[in-house]
Amino acid sequence: MSDERLVFAPVRRLAALVRERKVSPVALAETFLERLERLGPRYNAVVTITRERALAQARRAERELADGHYRGPLHGIPYGAKDLLATSGDIPTTWGAAIFRDRRLGFDATAIRRLEQAGAVLCAKLAMVELAGGMGYRQPNASFTGPGVNPWNRDAWSGGSSSGSGSAVAAGLVPFAIGSETWGSILSPAGNCGITGLRPTYGRVSRHGAMALCWTLDKLGPLALTADDCGLVLEAIAGHDPADPTSVDRPFHHEPAAAGRRFRFGVLAGITDGCEPAVRENFEGSLEVLRTMGTVETVTLPDLPYDDITRTILGAEAASAFEDLIESGAIRGLTAPEDRYLPYARDAILAKDYVKALRLRAVMAREADRVLAPLDALVAPGRIAEAPRLDAEVRSAVRGTARDVMGAVGNGAGLPAVAVPNGFGPRGLPTSLQFMGRAWEEGRVLAAAAAYQARTDWHERHPDDVTVGSA
Amino acid sequence: MSDLQAEVEARFALVRERYGDRLAPEELEAVRTAVEGLVQAARALRAVRLDNASEPGQPFAAYRANP
Repeated sequence: MSDERLVFAPVRRLAALVRERKVSPVALAETFLERLERLGPRYNAVVTITRERALAQARRAERELADGHYRGPLHGIPYGAKDLLATSGDIPTTWGAAIFRDRRLGFDATAIRRLEQAGAVLCAKLAMVELAGGMGYRQPNASFTGPGVNPWNRDAWSGGSSSGSGSAVAAGLVPFAIGSETWGSILSPAGNCGITGLRPTYGRVSRHGAMALCWTLDKLGPLALTADDCGLVLEAIAGHDPADPTSVDRPFHHEPAAAGRRFRFGVLAGITDGCEPAVRENFEGSLEVLRTMGTVETVTLPDLPYDDITRTILGAEAASAFEDLIESGAIRGLTAPEDRYLPYARDAILAKDYVKALRLRAVMAREADRVLAPLDALVAPGRIAEAPRLDAEVRSAVRGTARDVMGAVGNGAGLPAVAVPNGFGPRGLPTSLQFMGRAWEEGRVLAAAAAYQARTDWHERHPDDVTVGSA
Repeated sequence: MSDLQAEVEARFALVRERYGDRLAPEELEAVRTAVEGLVQAARALRAVRLDNASEPGQPFAAYRANP
C-alpha cells in the first residue's frame, strides 16, 4: 500500500491492516509522526508531538498483536488529542494559552486513558483556540501556536476551537483526533477542513481531565475521515466515569450502517437564511441525495430565543470557570487582544438571567425532542459560510455576531450531531452537512451520515497541499 | 436615555467599577458593547413567561460520600 493510501485510509481499513499484520503499529506511528513533524508547523496544527509515548504504545501494541491479544479496531492506530485533555508524564497541557505553555498536569484524562486501553497510540497534542474560544475571540489568531491554517487553502482558518484536530485529520497527520465542543468547536473545524466530526450527546463521554469551559455544555468527541470511524472512536471513549458525575451509564456499540436502510429527515424552515450561496447550493444538492435515502420534510420549532438561552449559559459558566484568570488579570497573557478584556463584561450577567436560561433550556430540550422524535435526524448546513480568511473577523453565535439555531439547540439541549463534507465553495474550501438527532441517538445520526457518505465521495477528497506527491 | 440604555449603563457601571482601572478607553467601550449584547439577551429571556413549575434543565442531586 502506498504512503498516500495509508495516511488517508479510514481507521477501519487501517485496523484491518494492523490486525492482519500487514502494517506494523510501529511503522504506522513512525509514518504519522514524520508527517506531524514535517507538516504540522505548516498548519499550526500541533502543540506537542508525543514521540516517546507514541513509540512505547506502538511497541506494546506490536507485542500484544504478536501474542494474539487484539484489543479492537483502535489497537495500534495513531491519533491526536486536543490540547485541553490532561496527559501524564512530561507532556504539557496548554489549553492553547501562552500562560499555560509549560504546564504539566501529571495525569491522563479519562478519554485519553480509555483510548490507551483500546490500544490507540497518542502521537500529538493538537492546537486549539486559547481556552477553547470561551473568552470571546474575534479572529483566527487566538492561540499561542498561531492561527489554525486550513490545508485546503492556507489563507483560510481551520478552526475553531478544535483547529488542530480538524487540520491534522484533513492533512493526513493522524487518522483521527479528539476534539471538544461547547458550541461549534467540533462541527466547525470538521466542516472547515472537509472531514467528519461527531459531537456526542452531553454526558456520553467523560469530561474528567478536560478543561472546563462550561460544565453543562462541554462535550468530547472524535474527528475522523468518515462517520464510521467516528463511531469506532466513540465506542472506545463512551461510558460512565465516576470522576464525571454527569457521564451516563448507557451502552454505545457502533455498528456499520446497514445497506438499504430508509431514513426520515427534517429541515427547519428557513435554515439556509443567511448562508452563502455556495453553502445553500451544496445543501440543496445534499437534500437531493438524502431523498434517495428516504424522506425529507420541513419542520418548525416554536419561537424561542434559542441563541440567547445557550449564549447566556455559556457566558455565565465560562465567567465562573475562569474566575481566577479573569479577576487576577492573567487573561492579559492571552494571544487575541479581545480575549484580554471582553471576559470582564460577563460580570454583568445576573444570576436570575442565568437561571432563566436554564429553565428555558428545559423547554428547548422538550421542544427539540418533540420535533426530533418522529425523525432520524434534522439536517442543515454545517456552517453558513466557507472558512474565513486568516485576517478576517470570525462571525460567531457565541458572541452574537451570527445566528446558529442548530448549534444553540443542539448544544443547549446536549444533542448529538455529525458533520460531513458536502461540496466546495468558490475559494476551494469545503462546505458541510450536519445531521442532528435525539439524545443518545448517535447510532442513528452516524448511520445516516454513513449512508450519505456511501452515496458521495466528498470525504474521499484530500487537499492537494498534502497529497504525498506535493507534500 | 432609553430603558435599554439605562439597564446597560447600570450593569456596565459594575464592570467599570471592578475592572475599569485595568482597561484602556477603547477596551472599555468594547466591554460596554458586549454588556449591551448581554442585556439584549437577558431581555429576550425575560420576554418568555414560564410558570412556577418550570424548573431549570439541570439536575441537582443530594450528595453523600460512601458509606
